[in-house]
Amino acid sequence: MLKKSAYAGTLESSDAYIQVSPHDKREIELESSVEEIYGEAIIVLIEKTLDEMKITDVFVKVQDKGALDFVIKARLQTAILRACDLSEPVWEVL
Amino acid sequence: MDAAVSFSRFDSTSARRVKRVEEFLSSVELKISSDIETFVLAKENGKIIACGGIAGNILKCIAISPEKRGEGFFLSLMTELLNTANDKGRKDLFIFSSPKNRLFFEECGFRLIQECDNQVILMENSENLAKYKKSLSQYKKDGTKIGSIVMNANPFTLGHQYLVESAASQCEHLHLFVVGEDASEFSFVDRLRLIKEGTLHIKNVTVHEGSDYIISKATFPTYFIKNRGEVNQIHAKLDLNIFKDHLAPTLGITHRFVGDEPHCKVTNNYNQNMKRILQEVSNSVSIKVIEVPRKQESSKAISASRVRGLLKEKRYEELSKLVPKSTFDFLIQKYRD
Repeated sequence: MLKKSAYAGTLESSDAYIQVSPHDKREIELESSVEEIYGEAIIVLIEKTLDEMKITDVFVKVQDKGALDFVIKARLQTAILRACDLSEPVWEVL
Repeated sequence: MDAAVSFSRFDSTSARRVKRVEEFLSSVELKISSDIETFVLAKENGKIIACGGIAGNILKCIAISPEKRGEGFFLSLMTELLNTANDKGRKDLFIFSSPKNRLFFEECGFRLIQECDNQVILMENSENLAKYKKSLSQYKKDGTKIGSIVMNANPFTLGHQYLVESAASQCEHLHLFVVGEDASEFSFVDRLRLIKEGTLHIKNVTVHEGSDYIISKATFPTYFIKNRGEVNQIHAKLDLNIFKDHLAPTLGITHRFVGDEPHCKVTNNYNQNMKRILQEVSNSVSIKVIEVPRKQESSKAISASRVRGLLKEKRYEELSKLVPKSTFDFLIQKYRD
Protein backbone atom coordinates (compact mmCIF):
# COMPACT_ATOMS: atom_id res chain seq x y z
CA MET A 1 0.00 0.00 0.00
CA LEU A 2 1.22 3.46 -0.88
CA LYS A 3 1.47 5.76 2.10
CA LYS A 4 2.50 8.93 0.28
CA SER A 5 3.65 10.37 -3.02
CA ALA A 6 7.16 9.61 -4.17
CA TYR A 7 9.38 9.93 -7.21
CA ALA A 8 12.49 8.43 -8.77
CA GLY A 9 14.67 9.05 -11.78
CA THR A 10 15.68 12.10 -13.77
CA LEU A 11 14.53 13.99 -16.85
CA GLU A 12 17.79 13.34 -18.59
CA SER A 13 18.22 11.44 -21.84
CA SER A 14 17.92 7.62 -21.59
CA ASP A 15 16.30 7.92 -18.18
CA ALA A 16 12.75 8.30 -16.91
CA TYR A 17 11.26 10.51 -14.21
CA ILE A 18 8.53 8.61 -12.42
CA GLN A 19 6.08 10.01 -9.88
CA VAL A 20 3.65 7.81 -7.98
CA SER A 21 0.89 8.75 -5.56
CA PRO A 22 -1.96 7.01 -3.72
CA HIS A 23 -5.13 6.88 -5.83
CA ASP A 24 -8.54 5.18 -5.84
CA LYS A 25 -7.63 3.07 -8.85
CA ARG A 26 -4.69 2.29 -11.09
CA GLU A 27 -4.04 5.12 -13.51
CA ILE A 28 -0.98 5.56 -15.70
CA GLU A 29 0.00 8.73 -17.48
CA LEU A 30 2.85 8.32 -19.92
CA GLU A 31 4.77 10.86 -21.90
CA SER A 32 7.66 9.48 -23.86
CA SER A 33 10.06 10.68 -26.49
CA VAL A 34 9.59 7.28 -28.14
CA GLU A 35 5.85 7.03 -27.55
CA GLU A 36 4.84 6.22 -31.13
CA ILE A 37 7.08 3.15 -31.23
CA TYR A 38 7.31 1.95 -27.65
CA GLY A 39 4.38 3.63 -25.88
CA GLU A 40 2.30 0.48 -25.62
CA ALA A 41 5.26 -1.67 -24.59
CA ILE A 42 6.11 0.77 -21.79
CA ILE A 43 2.54 0.70 -20.49
CA VAL A 44 2.62 -3.14 -20.50
CA LEU A 45 5.91 -3.04 -18.61
CA ILE A 46 4.51 -0.66 -15.99
CA GLU A 47 1.35 -2.73 -15.53
CA LYS A 48 3.40 -5.90 -15.17
CA THR A 49 5.77 -4.34 -12.65
CA LEU A 50 2.85 -3.03 -10.58
CA ASP A 51 1.17 -6.46 -10.74
CA GLU A 52 4.33 -8.11 -9.47
CA MET A 53 4.47 -5.69 -6.58
CA LYS A 54 0.73 -6.16 -5.95
CA ILE A 55 0.04 -2.44 -6.26
CA THR A 56 -3.46 -1.62 -7.45
CA ASP A 57 -4.46 1.84 -6.25
CA VAL A 58 -1.84 4.13 -7.66
CA PHE A 59 -1.42 7.08 -9.96
CA VAL A 60 1.76 6.70 -11.99
CA LYS A 61 3.16 9.53 -14.03
CA VAL A 62 6.05 8.72 -16.32
CA GLN A 63 8.20 11.20 -18.17
CA ASP A 64 10.31 8.93 -20.35
CA LYS A 65 13.36 10.02 -22.31
CA GLY A 66 13.98 6.80 -24.17
CA ALA A 67 15.00 4.74 -21.15
CA LEU A 68 15.64 1.02 -21.59
CA ASP A 69 13.17 -1.43 -20.05
CA PHE A 70 15.21 -2.26 -16.98
CA VAL A 71 15.74 1.44 -16.25
CA ILE A 72 12.01 2.15 -16.31
CA LYS A 73 11.32 -0.91 -14.18
CA ALA A 74 13.98 0.04 -11.62
CA ARG A 75 12.79 3.64 -11.43
CA LEU A 76 9.20 2.51 -10.93
CA GLN A 77 10.13 -0.03 -8.25
CA THR A 78 12.17 2.58 -6.42
CA ALA A 79 9.36 5.14 -6.52
CA ILE A 80 6.85 2.57 -5.25
CA LEU A 81 9.15 1.44 -2.42
CA ARG A 82 9.67 5.05 -1.36
CA ALA A 83 5.91 5.66 -1.47
CA CYS A 84 5.36 2.59 0.72
CA ASP A 85 8.05 3.76 3.16
CA LEU A 86 10.05 0.60 2.53
CA SER A 87 13.80 0.80 2.40
CA GLU A 88 14.41 -2.79 1.31
CA PRO A 89 12.64 -4.36 -1.63
CA VAL A 90 11.04 -7.76 -1.29
CA TRP A 91 13.71 -9.38 -3.41
CA GLU A 92 11.77 -12.43 -4.49
CA VAL A 93 9.12 -10.34 -6.29
CA LEU A 94 11.67 -8.33 -8.20
CA MET B 1 26.18 15.03 -15.47
CA ASP B 2 29.32 17.02 -14.92
CA ALA B 3 30.91 15.82 -11.70
CA ALA B 4 31.97 19.32 -10.69
CA VAL B 5 28.37 20.54 -10.58
CA SER B 6 26.62 20.38 -7.24
CA PHE B 7 23.04 21.23 -6.34
CA SER B 8 21.77 22.70 -3.11
CA ARG B 9 18.43 23.91 -1.84
CA PHE B 10 17.61 26.49 0.79
CA ASP B 11 14.70 28.53 2.08
CA SER B 12 14.26 32.19 1.33
CA THR B 13 14.87 32.98 5.02
CA SER B 14 18.58 32.90 4.34
CA ALA B 15 19.03 36.53 3.27
CA ARG B 16 22.71 36.19 2.43
CA ARG B 17 22.12 33.30 0.03
CA VAL B 18 19.06 34.95 -1.52
CA LYS B 19 21.24 37.96 -2.24
CA ARG B 20 23.67 35.77 -4.19
CA VAL B 21 20.80 34.37 -6.25
CA GLU B 22 19.64 37.89 -6.91
CA GLU B 23 23.09 38.83 -8.18
CA PHE B 24 23.19 35.78 -10.41
CA LEU B 25 19.74 36.52 -11.82
CA SER B 26 20.66 40.08 -12.54
CA SER B 27 23.74 38.85 -14.43
CA VAL B 28 21.35 37.12 -16.83
CA GLU B 29 19.02 40.14 -16.84
CA LEU B 30 16.32 38.62 -14.69
CA LYS B 31 14.80 39.87 -11.47
CA ILE B 32 14.07 37.85 -8.38
CA SER B 33 10.47 37.17 -7.32
CA SER B 34 9.84 38.11 -3.72
CA ASP B 35 7.39 35.29 -3.02
CA ILE B 36 9.80 32.40 -3.61
CA GLU B 37 9.93 30.07 -0.59
CA THR B 38 12.64 27.66 -1.65
CA PHE B 39 15.54 28.06 -4.02
CA VAL B 40 17.49 25.44 -5.92
CA LEU B 41 21.01 26.39 -6.79
CA ALA B 42 23.60 24.76 -9.04
CA LYS B 43 27.25 25.55 -8.50
CA GLU B 44 30.36 24.66 -10.43
CA ASN B 45 33.69 25.29 -8.74
CA GLY B 46 31.98 27.52 -6.22
CA LYS B 47 30.32 29.67 -8.86
CA ILE B 48 26.55 29.80 -9.35
CA ILE B 49 25.68 28.51 -12.78
CA ALA B 50 21.93 28.00 -12.50
CA CYS B 51 18.97 28.56 -10.21
CA GLY B 52 15.26 28.10 -9.85
CA GLY B 53 12.63 28.82 -7.23
CA ILE B 54 9.36 27.50 -5.87
CA ALA B 55 6.54 29.84 -4.87
CA GLY B 56 3.39 27.95 -3.93
CA ASN B 57 2.74 25.70 -6.91
CA ILE B 58 4.60 27.91 -9.36
CA LEU B 59 8.18 27.42 -10.51
CA LYS B 60 9.87 30.77 -10.92
CA CYS B 61 13.17 32.40 -11.72
CA ILE B 62 14.59 29.46 -13.64
CA ALA B 63 17.88 30.57 -15.15
CA ILE B 64 21.11 29.08 -16.46
CA SER B 65 24.30 30.99 -17.13
CA PRO B 66 24.94 31.38 -20.86
CA GLU B 67 28.01 29.13 -20.99
CA LYS B 68 26.09 26.16 -19.53
CA ARG B 69 23.20 26.35 -21.96
CA GLY B 70 22.58 23.89 -24.76
CA GLU B 71 24.21 20.82 -23.25
CA GLY B 72 21.30 19.19 -21.53
CA PHE B 73 22.11 20.77 -18.19
CA PHE B 74 18.66 22.29 -18.15
CA LEU B 75 17.18 18.83 -17.58
CA SER B 76 19.39 18.26 -14.54
CA LEU B 77 18.26 21.56 -13.11
CA MET B 78 14.60 20.78 -13.77
CA THR B 79 14.95 17.33 -12.19
CA GLU B 80 16.33 18.96 -9.07
CA LEU B 81 13.53 21.55 -9.06
CA LEU B 82 10.84 18.89 -9.48
CA ASN B 83 12.40 16.78 -6.73
CA THR B 84 12.43 19.79 -4.42
CA ALA B 85 8.82 20.61 -5.24
CA ASN B 86 7.79 16.98 -4.76
CA ASP B 87 9.50 16.88 -1.37
CA LYS B 88 7.38 19.87 -0.38
CA GLY B 89 4.27 17.99 -1.51
CA ARG B 90 3.81 20.14 -4.60
CA LYS B 91 3.21 17.76 -7.48
CA ASP B 92 1.02 19.83 -9.72
CA LEU B 93 3.04 22.77 -10.89
CA PHE B 94 2.78 25.81 -13.10
CA ILE B 95 5.32 27.77 -15.07
CA PHE B 96 4.92 31.20 -16.57
CA SER B 97 7.56 31.91 -19.12
CA SER B 98 8.48 33.46 -22.38
CA PRO B 99 7.09 31.56 -25.42
CA LYS B 100 10.59 30.83 -26.71
CA ASN B 101 11.07 28.43 -23.76
CA ARG B 102 7.99 26.37 -24.46
CA LEU B 103 9.82 23.38 -25.97
CA PHE B 104 12.23 23.18 -23.04
CA PHE B 105 9.44 22.90 -20.53
CA GLU B 106 7.49 20.47 -22.71
CA GLU B 107 10.50 18.19 -22.40
CA CYS B 108 9.93 18.22 -18.64
CA GLY B 109 6.29 17.21 -18.83
CA PHE B 110 4.69 20.66 -18.91
CA ARG B 111 1.82 21.40 -21.29
CA LEU B 112 0.71 24.68 -22.70
CA ILE B 113 -2.43 26.19 -21.20
CA GLN B 114 -2.29 29.57 -22.88
CA GLU B 115 -0.03 31.70 -25.00
CA CYS B 116 -0.49 35.43 -25.42
CA ASP B 117 0.93 37.46 -28.27
CA ASN B 118 4.44 36.04 -28.11
CA GLN B 119 4.84 37.61 -24.69
CA VAL B 120 3.90 34.99 -22.14
CA ILE B 121 2.96 31.34 -21.85
CA LEU B 122 1.37 29.49 -18.96
CA MET B 123 2.07 25.78 -18.65
CA GLU B 124 1.16 23.06 -16.16
CA ASN B 125 2.55 19.56 -15.58
CA SER B 126 -0.75 17.95 -14.63
CA GLU B 127 -4.10 17.45 -16.30
CA ASN B 128 -5.77 19.67 -13.76
CA LEU B 129 -7.22 22.14 -16.25
CA ALA B 130 -9.15 19.35 -17.96
CA LYS B 131 -10.29 18.03 -14.56
CA TYR B 132 -11.29 21.51 -13.41
CA LYS B 133 -13.31 22.13 -16.56
CA LYS B 134 -15.07 18.81 -16.07
CA SER B 135 -15.99 19.64 -12.49
CA LEU B 136 -17.07 23.13 -13.53
CA SER B 137 -19.32 21.81 -16.30
CA GLN B 138 -21.73 20.28 -13.78
CA TYR B 139 -22.74 23.84 -12.82
CA LYS B 140 -23.61 24.74 -16.37
CA LYS B 141 -27.06 26.29 -16.73
CA ASP B 142 -28.97 26.69 -19.95
CA GLY B 143 -29.89 30.14 -21.07
CA THR B 144 -29.25 32.81 -23.65
CA LYS B 145 -27.80 35.26 -21.15
CA ILE B 146 -25.36 33.66 -18.74
CA GLY B 147 -23.38 36.16 -16.72
CA SER B 148 -20.10 36.06 -14.85
CA ILE B 149 -18.19 38.11 -12.31
CA VAL B 150 -14.68 37.62 -10.99
CA MET B 151 -14.10 39.24 -7.61
CA ASN B 152 -11.59 39.43 -4.86
CA ALA B 153 -13.93 41.16 -2.35
CA ASN B 154 -11.35 42.19 0.19
CA PRO B 155 -13.75 42.35 2.04
CA PHE B 156 -17.28 42.03 0.59
CA THR B 157 -19.00 45.44 0.61
CA LEU B 158 -22.42 46.80 -0.33
CA GLY B 159 -20.72 47.78 -3.59
CA HIS B 160 -19.97 44.14 -4.37
CA GLN B 161 -23.46 43.17 -3.34
CA TYR B 162 -24.93 45.80 -5.63
CA LEU B 163 -22.81 44.57 -8.54
CA VAL B 164 -23.94 40.96 -8.00
CA GLU B 165 -27.60 41.96 -7.63
CA SER B 166 -27.49 44.14 -10.69
CA ALA B 167 -25.75 41.47 -12.79
CA ALA B 168 -28.04 38.69 -11.58
CA SER B 169 -31.12 40.72 -12.49
CA GLN B 170 -29.83 41.12 -16.04
CA CYS B 171 -29.24 37.45 -16.82
CA GLU B 172 -30.74 34.02 -16.41
CA HIS B 173 -27.87 32.73 -14.35
CA LEU B 174 -24.76 34.30 -12.85
CA HIS B 175 -21.45 32.58 -12.14
CA LEU B 176 -19.39 34.34 -9.51
CA PHE B 177 -15.70 33.43 -9.26
CA VAL B 178 -13.79 34.28 -6.12
CA VAL B 179 -10.06 34.92 -6.59
CA GLY B 180 -8.44 32.09 -4.68
CA GLU B 181 -5.26 33.57 -3.29
CA ASP B 182 -4.29 34.40 0.25
CA ALA B 183 -2.21 37.44 -0.63
CA SER B 184 -5.02 39.84 0.26
CA GLU B 185 -5.66 41.33 3.69
CA PHE B 186 -8.52 38.91 4.28
CA SER B 187 -8.01 35.19 3.82
CA PHE B 188 -9.66 33.30 1.00
CA VAL B 189 -11.86 31.35 3.42
CA ASP B 190 -13.15 34.56 5.03
CA ARG B 191 -13.68 36.35 1.72
CA LEU B 192 -15.54 33.36 0.29
CA ARG B 193 -17.79 33.04 3.32
CA LEU B 194 -18.72 36.73 3.29
CA ILE B 195 -19.50 36.58 -0.42
CA LYS B 196 -21.70 33.53 0.10
CA GLU B 197 -23.54 35.12 3.03
CA GLY B 198 -23.93 38.43 1.23
CA THR B 199 -25.42 36.83 -1.89
CA LEU B 200 -27.59 34.21 -0.20
CA HIS B 201 -30.75 36.16 -1.07
CA ILE B 202 -29.97 36.07 -4.81
CA LYS B 203 -31.33 32.87 -6.24
CA ASN B 204 -29.70 32.63 -9.67
CA VAL B 205 -26.08 32.83 -8.55
CA THR B 206 -23.45 30.09 -8.28
CA VAL B 207 -20.38 31.02 -6.23
CA HIS B 208 -17.25 29.27 -7.51
CA GLU B 209 -14.20 28.92 -5.36
CA GLY B 210 -11.20 30.36 -7.11
CA SER B 211 -8.89 28.13 -9.04
CA ASP B 212 -5.41 28.29 -10.42
CA TYR B 213 -6.94 29.37 -13.70
CA ILE B 214 -7.92 32.79 -12.52
CA ILE B 215 -4.50 34.33 -12.50
CA SER B 216 -4.01 36.52 -9.50
CA LYS B 217 -1.93 39.64 -9.89
CA ALA B 218 -0.14 38.72 -6.69
CA THR B 219 1.26 35.44 -7.94
CA PHE B 220 1.82 36.43 -11.56
CA PRO B 221 5.56 36.28 -12.07
CA THR B 222 7.09 39.14 -13.93
CA TYR B 223 10.78 38.41 -13.79
CA PHE B 224 10.99 37.39 -17.44
CA ILE B 225 9.21 40.46 -18.76
CA LYS B 226 11.83 42.89 -19.97
CA ASN B 227 9.67 45.96 -20.27
CA ARG B 228 8.35 46.61 -16.75
CA GLY B 229 5.69 48.95 -18.07
CA GLU B 230 4.00 46.05 -19.86
CA VAL B 231 3.56 43.84 -16.79
CA ASN B 232 -0.04 44.81 -16.02
CA GLN B 233 -1.04 44.59 -19.65
CA ILE B 234 0.47 41.12 -20.09
CA HIS B 235 -1.10 39.84 -16.88
CA ALA B 236 -4.50 41.11 -17.99
CA LYS B 237 -4.16 39.50 -21.41
CA LEU B 238 -3.19 36.13 -20.01
CA ASP B 239 -5.88 36.06 -17.34
CA LEU B 240 -8.62 37.22 -19.70
CA ASN B 241 -7.66 34.87 -22.50
CA ILE B 242 -7.74 31.85 -20.18
CA PHE B 243 -11.15 32.97 -19.00
CA LYS B 244 -12.37 33.37 -22.54
CA ASP B 245 -10.89 30.18 -24.00
CA HIS B 246 -11.36 27.76 -21.12
CA LEU B 247 -13.72 28.84 -18.32
CA ALA B 248 -16.38 30.74 -20.26
CA PRO B 249 -17.08 28.03 -22.89
CA THR B 250 -17.33 25.37 -20.18
CA LEU B 251 -20.19 27.25 -18.51
CA GLY B 252 -21.66 28.83 -21.63
CA ILE B 253 -20.92 32.31 -20.34
CA THR B 254 -22.12 35.12 -22.58
CA HIS B 255 -21.60 38.19 -20.39
CA ARG B 256 -19.09 39.48 -17.91
CA PHE B 257 -19.97 42.15 -15.41
CA VAL B 258 -17.51 44.48 -13.77
CA GLY B 259 -17.74 47.53 -11.55
CA ASP B 260 -16.69 50.70 -13.35
CA GLU B 261 -13.50 52.25 -12.11
CA PRO B 262 -13.37 56.02 -11.92
CA HIS B 263 -10.38 56.32 -9.57
CA CYS B 264 -7.80 53.58 -9.92
CA LYS B 265 -5.90 53.79 -13.19
CA VAL B 266 -4.60 50.21 -13.04
CA THR B 267 -8.06 48.73 -12.56
CA ASN B 268 -9.52 50.96 -15.21
CA ASN B 269 -6.86 49.78 -17.65
CA TYR B 270 -7.75 46.21 -16.76
CA ASN B 271 -11.41 46.94 -17.51
CA GLN B 272 -10.53 48.45 -20.88
CA ASN B 273 -8.40 45.40 -21.72
CA MET B 274 -11.30 43.23 -20.65
CA LYS B 275 -13.63 44.91 -23.11
CA ARG B 276 -11.14 44.60 -25.94
CA ILE B 277 -10.15 40.99 -25.32
CA LEU B 278 -13.45 39.41 -24.26
CA GLN B 279 -15.60 41.19 -26.83
CA GLU B 280 -13.32 40.43 -29.75
CA VAL B 281 -14.67 37.44 -31.68
CA SER B 282 -12.24 34.52 -31.62
CA ASN B 283 -13.08 30.85 -32.23
CA SER B 284 -16.62 32.18 -32.77
CA VAL B 285 -16.76 33.20 -29.09
CA SER B 286 -17.35 36.72 -27.86
CA ILE B 287 -18.27 37.74 -24.35
CA LYS B 288 -20.10 40.99 -23.79
CA VAL B 289 -18.62 43.15 -21.06
CA ILE B 290 -21.00 45.28 -19.03
CA GLU B 291 -19.63 47.95 -16.73
CA VAL B 292 -21.94 48.55 -13.80
CA PRO B 293 -21.66 52.02 -12.20
CA ARG B 294 -20.36 51.87 -8.65
CA LYS B 295 -22.81 52.13 -5.80
CA GLN B 296 -22.29 55.38 -3.93
CA GLU B 297 -22.49 56.30 -0.27
CA SER B 298 -22.23 59.96 0.84
CA SER B 299 -21.62 60.66 -2.88
CA LYS B 300 -18.45 58.59 -2.87
CA ALA B 301 -18.04 55.22 -4.54
CA ILE B 302 -18.04 52.29 -2.15
CA SER B 303 -14.85 50.32 -2.40
CA ALA B 304 -13.08 47.66 -0.41
CA SER B 305 -10.09 49.95 0.06
CA ARG B 306 -12.36 52.61 1.60
CA VAL B 307 -13.65 49.95 3.99
CA ARG B 308 -10.14 48.86 4.91
CA GLY B 309 -9.22 52.50 5.54
CA LEU B 310 -12.13 53.05 7.91
CA LEU B 311 -11.36 49.77 9.64
CA LYS B 312 -7.80 50.88 10.26
CA GLU B 313 -9.04 54.12 11.82
CA LYS B 314 -11.69 52.22 13.80
CA ARG B 315 -14.51 54.32 12.35
CA TYR B 316 -17.07 51.55 12.74
CA GLU B 317 -20.15 53.77 12.52
CA GLU B 318 -19.25 54.97 9.02
CA LEU B 319 -18.05 51.53 8.06
CA SER B 320 -21.43 49.99 8.87
CA LYS B 321 -22.96 52.02 6.04
CA LEU B 322 -20.64 50.46 3.47
CA VAL B 323 -20.92 46.74 4.17
CA PRO B 324 -23.71 44.17 4.52
CA LYS B 325 -24.56 43.08 8.05
CA SER B 326 -22.76 39.75 7.65
CA THR B 327 -19.52 41.52 6.74
CA PHE B 328 -19.96 44.08 9.52
CA ASP B 329 -20.49 41.40 12.16
CA PHE B 330 -17.41 39.58 10.95
CA LEU B 331 -15.25 42.72 11.02
CA ILE B 332 -16.45 43.71 14.48
CA GLN B 333 -15.79 40.28 15.86
CA LYS B 334 -12.37 40.13 14.28
CA TYR B 335 -11.07 43.66 14.95
CA ARG B 336 -12.86 45.26 17.87
CA ASP B 337 -11.41 44.16 21.17
